[in-house]
Amino acid sequence: MGVRLYKEPKLNEPIMVACWPGIGNIGVIAVDILRRVMAAEELGEIEPWEFFYPRRVLIRDGELKGLEFPSNKFYFKKTGKKDVLFFIGEEQPSDGIRAYAEGTKAYRMANLVIDVALKFGCHRVYTSGAAVAPIHHTARSRVWVVPNSENLIDEAKSYENTVLMSDIEDRDGQGNITGLNGLLLGVARKRGLEAICVMGEVPVYIHGFPIPYPKGSKSVLEVLSTALGIEVPMDEINALVQQSESEIDSVYERLPSEIKEQLDKLKYVTYAKPSEPEPITEEDKKKILQEIDKLFKREPGGD
Amino acid sequence: MSEGQSFKLFAKPKLESSSLVVAWNQDVGKVGPGVVGYLNRKLEGREFAEINPEGFFSLGGVSVEEDIAQFPESKFYWYPEKSLVIFKSDIPQYEWYGFLSLVLDIAEKYCKVKEIYTVGGMVSTAAHTTPRMLLSVANSAEMKMMLGHYELVSDMDYETQDGQRPTFSSFLLWAAKRRNIVGASLWVTLPFYLLAVADPQACKKLAEFFNGRLELGIDFSDIDEEIVSQNKEIAQVRNKFPELDDYISKLEGNVSLNVNESEKLVREIEEWLRRTR
Repeated sequence: MGVRLYKEPKLNEPIMVACWPGIGNIGVIAVDILRRVMAAEELGEIEPWEFFYPRRVLIRDGELKGLEFPSNKFYFKKTGKKDVLFFIGEEQPSDGIRAYAEGTKAYRMANLVIDVALKFGCHRVYTSGAAVAPIHHTARSRVWVVPNSENLIDEAKSYENTVLMSDIEDRDGQGNITGLNGLLLGVARKRGLEAICVMGEVPVYIHGFPIPYPKGSKSVLEVLSTALGIEVPMDEINALVQQSESEIDSVYERLPSEIKEQLDKLKYVTYAKPSEPEPITEEDKKKILQEIDKLFKREPGGD
Repeated sequence: MSEGQSFKLFAKPKLESSSLVVAWNQDVGKVGPGVVGYLNRKLEGREFAEINPEGFFSLGGVSVEEDIAQFPESKFYWYPEKSLVIFKSDIPQYEWYGFLSLVLDIAEKYCKVKEIYTVGGMVSTAAHTTPRMLLSVANSAEMKMMLGHYELVSDMDYETQDGQRPTFSSFLLWAAKRRNIVGASLWVTLPFYLLAVADPQACKKLAEFFNGRLELGIDFSDIDEEIVSQNKEIAQVRNKFPELDDYISKLEGNVSLNVNESEKLVREIEEWLRRTR
């Protein structure tokens, strides 16, 4: 019970990139593109039945042929320099109520991922996810970086377009990373591995909707490709960004003008340093979110 | 498997080889629990083990159904001199695979279970005067071949549709197959307007299968009386309410009802049968 490896390649100081779905599927989109661009090979999987309810049954001629579970796969790529290990989970193990994993199952799954990392001699893990931020969807998403040890701070800061928690207004270097993308940082630290979580920003007024946000993924992809020293063609992600932006724009145009005016203010706000002329206030933010919820008749979710 | 922590064992059944029949309390028309309840009564089943609810159910209070507080139950029964074991349970909310593994552990260790059946109901738009059908899904070619000796519909093709998920019975059959235990899900059809009340005919159809397969020697005269009595009651409704008679006649002629007609039929039949019992 646990991990099933299809092969056991000899890897050179591999770096692991791991992710599970979350807000805007930011991490999964970025990591999956990276995996495909690098033509990484399948390495193995975490046996899913201990963690998930099956999502599909196949019955043919009165015989149960199989059950399909969310996949949790490992991939590898030999690069000639530091090799790369990927882990991509299709779903976070949950109790069916919360979207994000927590508790025993999450801890068990995080440890299985780290088991594989250690087995292949990995010392560094990247995880990725989303950072909900008061930004406008036309703005470039920045990447929040959270390392699991102090000696990684300078490196994390050195990547272009990144911010630390301490760079963010009112956070004072504090925050939470919900679910396995966060938990893996802690488990890696406990087991002696360096890890950095890279989170692409998603606008606060979009994060509650079950839609991908490729703009955040693009920023994550840029940071990961720098960190791994790999050049990644951006055509695919650019096309996704363009499509998503036009879809968001069409919804945005249908918003009541009062709300749109409020949201437009986000174009001129940098939340690290509030700027002129009309920074969005907490009162404004609350009002905007209430109006948006009313418009779409749903509750906001979030990391 | 840790006795005391995850389950309680009250007795050790003396079985050399047995068949396990599994019913989930959350079943369409309560057919599953109805059938195993009937077998339990007829064969004087003895409870011998119970799975503890901790870790499998939320335990954040109790639900109330038909004015009665409910609590999750997962119990095993055995029957001296019969090669039958019954497991009747609520469907767990968490740790599904762990729960199924525990069921299979107990079944293998204490009952030497060689085959597994799950029983349940399947809603049908056919009239109550149409004979019930028994459908099967086997977890192996071997089991499918064995079921071929019985009068079952066993050529079903199915794939889970978006927005749905597999039944817990499918999950159990799959888990059993991993241990080389053969098994089958048996589904009996029942008319949609008898969902809220018992359908003794559906219950008998399943019980008859086990009676033949496991040589249980059950005398069905009591359930036959129930069937006759229920049919009489429905006949009275048809006489009294020509509109409902018309609806049922349509179903007997394979003509579908519209939503309003269906709802009215369900409501009136349910009300009538509840009042006369």
